[in-house]
Amino acid sequence: MITALLIALVVLGGSAGDVFITKGMKQLGEISTLNPGRLAGIFVRAITNGYFLTGVFCMAVSYFSFLGALRLADLSLVLPATSISFVIATIGARLFLKETISRVRWAGILLVCIGVALISIPAQP
Amino acid sequence: MKTAVVLITAIVAQAFGDVCLTKGMKAISSLDANGGGVSESLSQIWHIALQAVQSPMIWAGTLLLIVFFVLFSAALSWADLSFVLPATAFGYVLNVAAGAYFLGESVSRTRWAGAVIITMGVLFVSRSGGRAIEAPPGEIEAPGVAE
Repeated sequence: MITALLIALVVLGGSAGDVFITKGMKQLGEISTLNPGRLAGIFVRAITNGYFLTGVFCMAVSYFSFLGALRLADLSLVLPATSISFVIATIGARLFLKETISRVRWAGILLVCIGVALISIPAQP
Repeated sequence: MKTAVVLITAIVAQAFGDVCLTKGMKAISSLDANGGGVSESLSQIWHIALQAVQSPMIWAGTLLLIVFFVLFSAALSWADLSFVLPATAFGYVLNVAAGAYFLGESVSRTRWAGAVIITMGVLFVSRSGGRAIEAPPGEIEAPGVAE
């Protein structure tokens, strides 16, 4: 039960983190310079942006939940289970970032999700 | 094109970062292995952390993962999350290949199948078009960088 809760935290934390970071970066506007001074300015604005920092915090929660889940369950369960993050983050992008996601993109995301789950299954000894 | 260059660099940095971290951490655990199983005592964790910060491999790996995160965030300043996130999943494929090549890991058929399916998925996503995948032309200022 606690394992399921921790895996849910890994997935939701990671997905929320991605959504918040995207929102923060979109607020900064498109980065279209390679000028070091301007890049440094963008960097400072990013690490002081509320959405961006919330995103990093969510990712930290996700990471520590991941470590916690690994203490209770095998990596062979935890890692494939977290591949659902791709779908959850995409739903988040649609709901909160108003991204339009075509059928082709959905198909690609589902394939990625299945592939990541397969890759995460450790080789049988 | 800008998106492609940034994401490919990010993915390669991540794959090499993971390889460096794995090499570094494996070197540490083999030093510790003579004491029996790895206990979870604080002194053990402290001992591992102390060795980790002295390992150039782990520094290189951490640095490469920071590069990944910076480029990933940069791409999100103009491209869709629903595009960038699955696109970076190609890193898993590179990780499998790098694990097999640089770390001598044996890769099961299931994993290769997963790698093929991810590649197909990333191809689908990269063909999916949509808002803000491509930056407007002529945006990159420095000469001789990107295309």
